[in-house]
Order: sequence, then C-alpha cells, then structure tokens
Amino acid sequence: MEVTTRSHGDVTIAAIAGSLDSMTSPAAQKTLDALVAQGAKKVAVDCAALDYISSAGLRVLLGLAKQLGAKGGALRTFGLNQTVREVFEISGFSTIFKVFPGESEALDGF
Amino acid sequence: MGAGFHMTVGPRLEEVARVNAAFAEFSEAQAVPLEVRRSMLVVLDELLANIISYGLATDGGGEAAIEVVLGAESLTVTLSDNAAAFDPFARAAPDTTLSVEERPIGGLGIHLVRHMVDEVSYQRSGDRNVTVLVKRLVANTSNGSTGEE
Repeated sequence: MEVTTRSHGDVTIAAIAGSLDSMTSPAAQKTLDALVAQGAKKVAVDCAALDYISSAGLRVLLGLAKQLGAKGGALRTFGLNQTVREVFEISGFSTIFKVFPGESEALDGF
Repeated sequence: MGAGFHMTVGPRLEEVARVNAAFAEFSEAQAVPLEVRRSMLVVLDELLANIISYGLATDGGGEAAIEVVLGAESLTVTLSDNAAAFDPFARAAPDTTLSVEERPIGGLGIHLVRHMVDEVSYQRSGDRNVTVLVKRLVANTSNGSTGEE
C-alpha cells in the first residue's frame, strides 16, 4: 500500500495504491492524518490503483471524513473498481462519501 | 479436478499478510476472476484479523487453518481455529443508514463478509470453529455491465 499526494488548487488529491486492509490501514491513517495536520480541508481520494478495501480501510476513510468535516472541509472519492464500489455500497459508505467516476468530475465544483 | 492449498497461522496479526499473499499468488496462477479474488481478499482480511485479534490464545497454542479449494464453478475457503466457540454471523447487522456523525466506527466487517460471498456458514466442530465461505466464479444474476469484454 502506498499513498501519494498532489495538489490541485485548494484540493489535496491522495492516491492510494494497493490494498487498504487490517495490515496497511495504520500506515494509511498516519499519512492521511498528516495531511489534515498540514491544513488540508478538501481531500479527493484517488482509488484508481486501490485494489480492495476492508472495514479497516473504511474506518480510516470515515475518520478522515470526520476530521475534514469538523474543519468545514469535505472528502470526495473517485476511480473505484468494482470491488471497492461494492464494499462502499454494502457498507452504506457510498451515501456518506461523494463518489465520482474520475478525477475531473471529482474536482468539478469542489 | 480442483486446485487448492492449505496453510496454518499463529496468533500474530502479520499472519494476515502472509495468507493474503499466498491467496493472491494462488488465485493469480489459477486465473481466478479478479472480482472474485478481490472479494475473497476482503473477506479473508475481515475474518482472519478478527480470529487473530480476539480469538486465538496468545500463549502458544492458538492456531487457525485456511483451506482453499477451487472448483469448476466456485471458490471455497474454509477457516477453522481452536479458539473458544464464537459464531461470527450471530450478531445483528449494523445500521448502515446512519450519517457520518452518528455512525459508530467499526462493526461492519461481518456485514461485508455476508454480502461479498455467495454462501457463509459456521459450525462448532469438536473444539474448533469452522467457517465455510463460497464464492461463485460467475455471478448467476446479472447486475448490469459487469463483464470485462
């Protein structure tokens, strides 16, 4: 699992590659917490290279969404594969996080 | 003819990564469809992390076994462990309609397991918990453009 970040205006794009599961989630959480500490308010999570996500990973994204929400910001996601989309839907997370097909849609009006 | 593999793990969370790696290698070699492979990896992560974190004795005797069998139409994974009797499917489903502020962190793992595979079953067999998971290789109900043609 690897998290790489880039900026687009005031939006921070965090690309997660690999899997977000019980083993990798602590490291992902650390990186994403650091983004918030550095002042990020709007974060778009790029899931194009995210292989799969388990509840441990959902917990990390939910924690990030709560932190951003508390600062008046928001979380968006894009580029989900079928399995990640299924996990979002089953868990009800697709109603919590705004899910977009691609990066340009996710950044539009963010 | 079904292919498969079997492995045992001890009470260390790092073992989940070892199982995931073995499963990923096996399913890639056997050309298990990507969505089936990924779904099963989610399920394995949920159940193994649970068994290892909360079930297995850490005094040296805790042990869990994973058996994977690939048939013509389905992938079957059997998890068994020597922890105290615990049925992971006995708990109620979480409320997934709550808002982000109201939602308690966690509790979703078993809910995911139930829905990511086609069949789940649990039984206490002797001194072991045995959970069987079956995922069909081809979805028998079409839910739109899921094909990869």
